Amino acid sequence: MASRVSSKGKGKAARGSRGSGGRWTGRCVKEWSTWAMKKAKVITHYGFIPLIIIIGMNSKPKPQLSQLLSPV
Amino acid sequence: MGSSVGHAAAPPPPAPPVGLAVALPPKVEQKSEKKVDYLNLPCPVPFEEIQREALMSLKPELFEGLRFDFTKGLNQKFSLSHSVFMGSMEVPSPSSGIIKVPTAHYEFGANFLDPKLMLVGRVVTDGRLNARVKYDLTDNLTLKINAQLTNEPHFSQGMFNFDYKGKDFRAQYQMGNNAFYGANYIQSVTPHLSLGSEVFWLGHQRKSGIGFAARYNTDKMVTTAQVASTGIVALSYVQKVSEKVSLASDFMYNHMTRDVTSSCGYDYILRQCRLRGKLDSNGCVAAFLEERLNMGVNFILSAEIDHQKKDYKFGFGMTVGE
Repeated sequence: MASRVSSKGKGKAARGSRGSGGRWTGRCVKEWSTWAMKKAKVITHYGFIPLIIIIGMNSKPKPQLSQLLSPV
Repeated sequence: MGSSVGHAAAPPPPAPPVGLAVALPPKVEQKSEKKVDYLNLPCPVPFEEIQREALMSLKPELFEGLRFDFTKGLNQKFSLSHSVFMGSMEVPSPSSGIIKVPTAHYEFGANFLDPKLMLVGRVVTDGRLNARVKYDLTDNLTLKINAQLTNEPHFSQGMFNFDYKGKDFRAQYQMGNNAFYGANYIQSVTPHLSLGSEVFWLGHQRKSGIGFAARYNTDKMVTTAQVASTGIVALSYVQKVSEKVSLASDFMYNHMTRDVTSSCGYDYILRQCRLRGKLDSNGCVAAFLEERLNMGVNFILSAEIDHQKKDYKFGFGMTVGE
């Protein structure tokens, strides 16, 4: 929490100076892309196998739900 | 009867040589060879599969312990797999080589195979996910994604590959995590020979490398050579002795660690079983047997004896389903 406040403060100061506007944009893009990669990693980790199962159960010929759960 | 027919079809005897032809040696009859069409060469194998015959014969998936795989197909394209493994796995340790850790895990997997899209996912009980995606963007361009995701931070890996298949060449561009970028290119030069090269760049360690490879194959044999600027020279030779038997040999030299390894092995593909064995210059003997007991039921035996390190590994298992 403290680091987030301090980085926002640093960002405002850089914007105020106007000379390093490009650097602030670059840092913002890097922070957001890191955040997006972390979220994408979590979504893939939990959702990849359910995604395959959903795509598979909707392919033709449509298999039954009981076939998915039973071991035979 | 056959001989009289042959005699009737025989050409008239050649005229006696005259002039300069008396002094020169007689002209050897030219065998009619198929003219090589350099504009119509076959497409080469992908660069990472350049040594695939040697790898298939010499490096089977040896394991120690019990392995049980069950694949259940729900329809033509979609299948689920359950896999149990109990045994020792090798963890490389910096101090004294390799430590064996007893592990047991259950792995659940789902596969979806379409002509255009392939999705394979495997998740293990400790939370590791192994995902592979292959999608054909167009007829010639393929996107492949390969990822290993773990619960521990900073241990996950991912790689994106873009493959382009041309008429007689293949090109690939790779992007991976840790700022890894790579590209490779392979081209058929004659109907039997293909040459390729690769470059890679590791962002975080500021390392780059370049490598060259060549592959010569005929119906009966395949030979490959690879040289890389990381100091690795790898040669391999596979000879298909008959439909059922292949012999393979392999040589690897690492200039940085001054490590030389050479191995030779055999691969018997018989009706009911497949037996692979190899002998190494490190004093390691290995064998791998897959025996087909019934339709879709395979029995697997794996053995690896390392005389130098006194390490004996034996494993057995069963695979049910395609």
